[in-house]
Amino acid sequence: MPINEFVLAGIFVTLVTGVSFLIEPFTGYLSIALLYLLLVVAVGLKLNRGPVLTVAAASALLWNVLFIPPRFTIYIEKFDDVMMFVMFFVVALAMGHLTSRLRRSQVAEQRRERRTAALYELAHQAAFATDLDTGLRAAVSLIQSLFGAQAALLLRQKDHTLSNVTHPASSLTLSEKEKSVAAWAFGRRMPAGKFTDTLPDSEALHLPLQARTAVMGVLAIRPSAGKSFDLTERELLEAFAALIGTILEKDHFIEAFKHAEIIETSERLHRALFDSVSHELKTPLAAVQAGIDALSKQIGAEGERQATLREVQAAVQRLHRVINNLLNMTRIEAGVIQPKLDWCDVAELVQSAVDLAGEGIAERRIVIEVDRELPMVRLDQALIEQCLCNLLLNAASWSRPGTNITVRAALEGGQLVLAVLDEGPGLNESDLRRIFEKFYRASDARPGGTGLGLAIVDGFVRAHGGTAAAANRQTGGAEFTLEIPVETMRADVMEELT
Amino acid sequence: MTDKPTALIIDDEVQIRRLLHIVLEGDGYRVLESESGEQGLSDIALRRPDVVLLDLGLPKVDGLTVLRRLREWSRVPVLVLTVRAGAEEKVAALDAGADDYVTKPFDSPELLARLRAIQRRASLGKDEPYFQAGPLAVDFNSHTVTVNGQEVMLTATEYALLRVLAQHAGKVVTHRQLLREVWGPNAENQSQYLRVYMNHLRKKIEVPDAKERLLKTEPGIGYRLILPAQK
Repeated sequence: MPINEFVLAGIFVTLVTGVSFLIEPFTGYLSIALLYLLLVVAVGLKLNRGPVLTVAAASALLWNVLFIPPRFTIYIEKFDDVMMFVMFFVVALAMGHLTSRLRRSQVAEQRRERRTAALYELAHQAAFATDLDTGLRAAVSLIQSLFGAQAALLLRQKDHTLSNVTHPASSLTLSEKEKSVAAWAFGRRMPAGKFTDTLPDSEALHLPLQARTAVMGVLAIRPSAGKSFDLTERELLEAFAALIGTILEKDHFIEAFKHAEIIETSERLHRALFDSVSHELKTPLAAVQAGIDALSKQIGAEGERQATLREVQAAVQRLHRVINNLLNMTRIEAGVIQPKLDWCDVAELVQSAVDLAGEGIAERRIVIEVDRELPMVRLDQALIEQCLCNLLLNAASWSRPGTNITVRAALEGGQLVLAVLDEGPGLNESDLRRIFEKFYRASDARPGGTGLGLAIVDGFVRAHGGTAAAANRQTGGAEFTLEIPVETMRADVMEELT
Repeated sequence: MTDKPTALIIDDEVQIRRLLHIVLEGDGYRVLESESGEQGLSDIALRRPDVVLLDLGLPKVDGLTVLRRLREWSRVPVLVLTVRAGAEEKVAALDAGADDYVTKPFDSPELLARLRAIQRRASLGKDEPYFQAGPLAVDFNSHTVTVNGQEVMLTATEYALLRVLAQHAGKVVTHRQLLREVWGPNAENQSQYLRVYMNHLRKKIEVPDAKERLLKTEPGIGYRLILPAQK
């Protein structure tokens, strides 16, 4: 502190003056000047510029008043003494100035060195730590020892928001208020809190952990009572924050890479298992189907046996659907469904779904309400076709032969809205919410069915980022609606090619 | 028939082979069986079948490898059989030179129709001047297209698309194949245009509300011009 340095300077000057009084009778007053010069140089090496220049001026005056004859007056008798005094004054000031400048650059050098050493230390301890937690602990304890300050870390979470819980490495607990300051620093990517323009009455300084691509969290530092950070310390802390951010980012990338690898392996495994199961289930089914076809041809038009064969055929088809449902559900559960988006004509999609449902909806009147001028949309046609088909089959199983099943398609605010409406009894209120759950079967469901058809619809639609919902129509019957966010083909592209 | 066509079944499942044998014989084929890829390749070389049914899920040498080796020296029509519902494997097989596919469990009439379509394609020159499928008729000489006797005006691109599909009638044509044949070898990534033109073409040649549709989209794979006998 400068004030203390002035006191210190005063003490030194008094001491030297006392010593001068003692030795002056033996050395004469001229040597005293050298003693004072020595003091100026010595003080210059330790103290700041202000105190040093004060010491230089005070020394000159004291020498003059106390030692140059006539003593105890400002007045100087001899001309050469006047010369000596003036020269002493100039030399003392110059010496004071030079030594303090030397010291200043030395101090700056030391600071730079400390800063480099600290960053090196942090990099060494934190960046090369075997795991992230050890590294962060090292960083916090380094801040503690270098700045005498407590520190807390709030890290970015997987969903890219700031965690509300301090990292276990922290040596500081944050109040809700401090956490909101941290959140501000995180959101704005700017320092906040104590010693800044934003919320300066906070307890701690909050620095965003800015890495190359993102802010990885916030470093909160609370200095010990009464202490503040000077510019250099502040810069060093910011460098720390940036380094911690980079370390976190590196860790994040490594994690992401590992995760991708694990997913790839599990996908491969799943695929192999899935393929072998589908092969084992579908091969015998194919044999049965081919057998039925062959028999049917051999029997010819004979009524009774053909009727039996038709029953077998229906059973095989049902089994085929169940197997497909189980396999599809497995894919959904494994999270391996990735829609292959491609441009598709909605009217055709609906027609294909109706074809796919085939015999299952044979005795219902299918009313298709699709605007033929709808632009093309990008989605996985095979998946959405399957969804519509399942909804149609579901509607057919709930309604009597001869009733209408309506399929509607429209674009509403960037979403493709597909609806299947039946004229059946509708759904119980309690079933509305649970109807899309796996294996859930409505309380009054007809026998047959696996409780998977609608769960698959839900899974496929979700894979597109959309939603499936069930409701009762005001006129009676149930209404199932799929809302799928889609890209639509720009009208000018369509026009241009017409 | 004096001159029965020969079909070769390459499948490791004996049951499938036996039942396919019966189905194919019932439709007038002379049937050969191979239980592995290697044996299948040598059978094709020695016995020169007119059409090959190839299972993709063969042990040891898988179907795709058999197909690639076969295409180095033979152009015999190949129908692949697969249990996978997805498009990737089928596209890979079609790119490797398969003529069409059916998914197990298959419907026998559909399988026979596809077999006929790929054989017809193989025996047909490109010079056939006239094409008819249900309400649709195409005269390749005069470039006229009629639906139910009414002439339909198509743009040059739409006509080119229809011509390719008609030449491969009954058989799937992949996106890539259509792009290459209509737009040229450098256009394989312009799939957006293909979708739009197919959409236009469909609107022009399909009779609205008709039970039978003419152009079928095989999602993720390509398109198929459906012949009336084929359902």
